[in-house]
Amino acid sequence: MEIKVEKVCKSFDKKPVIHDLTFTIDSGEIVCLLGPSGSGKTTTIRLLIGAIAADSGTICFGDIIVPNIKLLNKIGFMPQNDALYDDLSGEDNLKFFAGLYGIKKDKSEKRISEVLKLVELTNDRKKYVRNYSGGMKKRLSLAAALIHEPDVLLLDEPTSGIDPVLRRTIWDQFKNLKNQGTTIIVSTHVMDEVSECDKAALIYNGILIHFDDIQQLFAKAENGKVEELFLKAAKEQEEGAAIC
Amino acid sequence: MLSLAKRVIQQIIGDKRTLALIIFAPLLLLTLLYFLLGNTTYTPTIAIKENALSPAFVSQLKSEDVKIVDISSSNENANDYLKNHKDVDAVLEVSKLTGANITMFESSVKSGKAMEVIQTAIQNTAKNIIPIAKVNINYVYGNTNDSTFSSLGFVFLGILSFFFVFIISGMALVRERSSGTLERLLMTPIRRRQVILGYSVGYSVFAVIQAILIVLYCIYVLKIHCEGNALWVILVMVLMAISAVVFGAMISIFSHSEFQVVQFIPIVLVPQIFFSGLIPLDTIPYYLGNLCYITPVYYGCTAIKRVMVEGGGFCDIWMFIVALLAYTFILCVLNTLALKKYRKL
Ligand SMILES: Nc1ncnc2c1ncn2[C@@H]1O[C@H](COP(=O)(O)OP(=O)(O)OP(=O)(O)O)[C@@H](O)[C@H]1O
Ligand SMILES: [Mg+2]
Repeated sequence: MEIKVEKVCKSFDKKPVIHDLTFTIDSGEIVCLLGPSGSGKTTTIRLLIGAIAADSGTICFGDIIVPNIKLLNKIGFMPQNDALYDDLSGEDNLKFFAGLYGIKKDKSEKRISEVLKLVELTNDRKKYVRNYSGGMKKRLSLAAALIHEPDVLLLDEPTSGIDPVLRRTIWDQFKNLKNQGTTIIVSTHVMDEVSECDKAALIYNGILIHFDDIQQLFAKAENGKVEELFLKAAKEQEEGAAIC
Repeated sequence: MLSLAKRVIQQIIGDKRTLALIIFAPLLLLTLLYFLLGNTTYTPTIAIKENALSPAFVSQLKSEDVKIVDISSSNENANDYLKNHKDVDAVLEVSKLTGANITMFESSVKSGKAMEVIQTAIQNTAKNIIPIAKVNINYVYGNTNDSTFSSLGFVFLGILSFFFVFIISGMALVRERSSGTLERLLMTPIRRRQVILGYSVGYSVFAVIQAILIVLYCIYVLKIHCEGNALWVILVMVLMAISAVVFGAMISIFSHSEFQVVQFIPIVLVPQIFFSGLIPLDTIPYYLGNLCYITPVYYGCTAIKRVMVEGGGFCDIWMFIVALLAYTFILCVLNTLALKKYRKL
């Protein structure tokens, strides 16, 4: 499913947060949204899923315009905060989300075991989430986003707070999912993770400064580091402000 | 929708404190009220100057349930005497000029008792002389022996049940909002009305259990007299508890934190107590009494009163039941609309 974002703008309390965002993501790609804190990554993801409405511009998944309730069946969403129920066990959390997607009971049992294995939480499935560690909550939250086998995954910082070893396995899982045809959009502020993706969208102060294949991006950066592109953008924006 | 209701139930069962708060706290408070407002067997103490009163009256007074102190020898005036003798509840004096003078320390339950005793004694003395002065007091509903608790019990029944359910459902929804789980669950293909319905059903299960327990406890343990059929009381209580669930949900939409829900308590709950039947509504000036029509507790408590005190049946309370149902339905619709803030669809 192709995702098309066209001329999307969004302001909060009259303060523009996203300026004129335009890009297209092809089916089965891993795209990362890269940007410093407060640059608008979370806002972009919420716009994509339809949690907030754009002030102008359109977002389409295939030929369906966001927001669309049937579309939500095909999207897996993992918010930046964990958004889990502390007073339920890990397993019950997943059961609840499976129920929301209307997955039948026998099928959901099987699926829950699958995703728990994926995020290595099988042994902690009966534990209350309030007794989970930060990283365990992140993994459970990821499992909840995967529960209904979505075509598109919108993940807000899925690997922050996760150790390098598990991070590696999670990225391997993402690649597996990609090979099965899933489109994955991941936000991150860890520059190294860019190399795991097919494409990267660099967002700085709500402006899309680059959107390209990662080889292209590395070529653009003078010393092969993506940070360079942000520093350059910062300089340019400052100069622009000075001229005004 | 069912999975949502199931989750709410699971969460409450997992949280023993909330469970106890819903189920047992109202029972405890009702018991406490029962002792506070129940019939007291207090024996008042009255000081008199025996030689200034007629012997017939004095002997009549002494035959009542009262302690009499003779202060003929004291020359203090009544006010000073009461200030110096805290154990005396009233001073009764009779003078040719002013007639009977009763002085009491302050207006309280104790002085009320003393007053009552003196009045009965006066009546009984007079009765022996002129039979016409005999006064009989009759009530259409209830009788003179009813304690404050049995005549006003229905009010507390309604208020307590409403209060606890309201707080718990309001808090839970606001927590869901602030933890981000509400946004997350709205990013699944569930309908907004299913969300509201699921919540209401989940909490209503406990509200219903609570309502039934409270009514049975009041009637069988505290022995509040129920003139009509207790089943109607239970029905009204259940409806009122369900309206409290949606009312709590409504309030949580206007609050951003649990603390803000607490701030709503004085604004939202206290007026409901005023309009529940504790204060006669037709004496309130400027038609303020009409405000009762916007409080669900008014409908609930009036219906309970009709059944418990006046012995009414379904014909006497159906309009209140309809009002409660309509109230709940309207709030559900408003809540569904308010969720639009989180998802347009
Ligand atoms: N609901 C909101 N109301 C007002 N302002 C908001 C709201 N949500 C986000 N913002 C503002 O939008 C800007 C971008 O926020 P966003 O959460 O998208 O950043 P981010 O890139 O995800 O940052 P981080 O890496 O720290 O998560 C910030 O300046 C933030 O203050
Ligand atoms: Mg963010």
